[in-house]
Amino acid sequence: MKKIANGVTGLICQRLAGLLAVMFGVSFLTFLLYYFAPGDKALAIGQARYSGEGDVQPEIIAMIREEFGLDKPFLSQFFHWLSPLLQGDLGRSLVSQEEVWLIVIPNLQETLTLSITALLLGLGLAFVLSVVSAQKPGSLMDRVAIGVASVGAAVPSYWLGLMLILLFAATLQWLPSYGSGSFSHLILPATTLALWVMTTQTRLFRSFLLEAQAAPHLEALRLRQVTETEIFWCHVLRHALIPAITMIGIELAALLEGAVIVEVIFSRNGIGSLFVSSVMSRDYPVIMCLVLLSAFSYVLINTLVELLQDAINPVKRVTRVVV
Amino acid sequence: MTDIETLPSVYEGSDGAELTALRRFLIRTGIGIMVFLGLYAMALLLTPYDPNTADFLSRLQSPGAAHWLGTDHLGRDVATRIIYGAGWSVGLALVISVCGAVIGVLIGLCAGAGPQWFDRLSMRTTDSFFAFPELIAAIAISGILGPSTGNMVLALVMVSWMRYARLTRSLTLVLNQKDFIVQARLNRLPFWLILWRHFLPNLRLGLLVLWTNMWSRTILSISGLSFLGFGVQPPQAEWGAMLVDGKAYMLTAPYLMIFPGLAVLITVLALNLIGDQLRDHIQKPVD
Repeated sequence: MKKIANGVTGLICQRLAGLLAVMFGVSFLTFLLYYFAPGDKALAIGQARYSGEGDVQPEIIAMIREEFGLDKPFLSQFFHWLSPLLQGDLGRSLVSQEEVWLIVIPNLQETLTLSITALLLGLGLAFVLSVVSAQKPGSLMDRVAIGVASVGAAVPSYWLGLMLILLFAATLQWLPSYGSGSFSHLILPATTLALWVMTTQTRLFRSFLLEAQAAPHLEALRLRQVTETEIFWCHVLRHALIPAITMIGIELAALLEGAVIVEVIFSRNGIGSLFVSSVMSRDYPVIMCLVLLSAFSYVLINTLVELLQDAINPVKRVTRVVV
Repeated sequence: MTDIETLPSVYEGSDGAELTALRRFLIRTGIGIMVFLGLYAMALLLTPYDPNTADFLSRLQSPGAAHWLGTDHLGRDVATRIIYGAGWSVGLALVISVCGAVIGVLIGLCAGAGPQWFDRLSMRTTDSFFAFPELIAAIAISGILGPSTGNMVLALVMVSWMRYARLTRSLTLVLNQKDFIVQARLNRLPFWLILWRHFLPNLRLGLLVLWTNMWSRTILSISGLSFLGFGVQPPQAEWGAMLVDGKAYMLTAPYLMIFPGLAVLITVLALNLIGDQLRDHIQKPVD
């Protein structure tokens, strides 16, 4: 059914309601994954808690099963799993027995440093490339830019990372190939991710620019003898940036994903390498936390971007048709 | 996601010239693919080596006359492994993208043309599935269920059907308003018949573009997952798995890494270019 959202408040409420519904769905799906995981979870928790004390007593396992509600039917298990999460208690790692938060936060900082550096670098490159190519569509520069973007989109990021290591770390020995800490450790991983951002963004931003350049009101401005430079910077760019914001938001969320492979290749600490190692060791509390974290950040960023778009584009604000 | 939004709602170019151009393009692409498959079959038949049999006398040989792309640390011919690897990477990706498409199109059709409650329910489900970053969800699913080819296929189908569902639904909603659909409904045609005969033929082209796109994405995902150890397991000759093997010999035998990567690059690039061309052909009549 179609209905018209009434006013700004109504719109925000609607978006937040949608956000909550999706977050619930995300939690449910994450729980499904946990529920269908093979193996006895109570035994795994018991072995992690009392490691080095030989076999765990069956009574203790039964106790753990009751504590985590693992003997209950499906739905009550779900709520048993959900309620500590809602209170901010993510449990302890099965491997190190540390609080999950204490493991995740330092890694999150590392990943954010990497992603934001890569995002800024990649967007900068994409911006320059697309502005240059959109100046004269069909020109040599334009074709080169599109060619770079198409080839870049087909390059597997793990291969690109390995090639960069081969060139700059192994052959030329300019930069360290693995580890984290200093700025020089950041260059290669950030470049790998940035090239990935660049290839996805260049073509999009170019098409946004071309669309904005074709707007009929620019002709009127030209007749009023507004200079081409001013038209480009004040009018074309402004219009092209509106759709670009959406893409940048989604890109930021996607970077968490891109970081997985890059962090593994360059042996960096971060969410991605933590995720891979905890999946390998079946450290369920950490896996669940990271899966939820990535999904929630994606949903949150998406909602923020939508709200931002409503703010920028008044047309959408007044009569947004909700299907 | 952008591709979905820039796609034309329905293919409306009914004038002959555009259609024949599209048809000519499809025929040419088809012939190209046939020729490629023929070459591939010939390579499979003609290679004197086995992809998985170790030959320690010829370990780590540089590319040369006997081994065109060299041999790996177990003396296996890299060129042969790349050819067999195409079956894993491209073939599995084909299976996965077809499975994802079937599930997604079914859900999208029912959401767009079916009852209101189903639309709401399925779109919220789609949103929830969409919230998980593809790679992270795929690693979690195939890692928790146990790394194997089957679980990877399951994982990749589960992270890919939503795109088809969304596109199908949005195209279906537009079609819903058309006269021929309304007439079909008024004539009390069975629901499935309307879907099959009136909706599906009009969704074909848009879905074809998305499908080519998803096929190449899936090739990247498969090799990425195998690279991380969650996909096709060694000793199978999958391109991503070959890269892992080659990583240890980066300095002495860089070709072990370079060639499988190039194979992924060229395949994905070719599929992307076909998809782009196809989209341009379909979009032209609408513009």
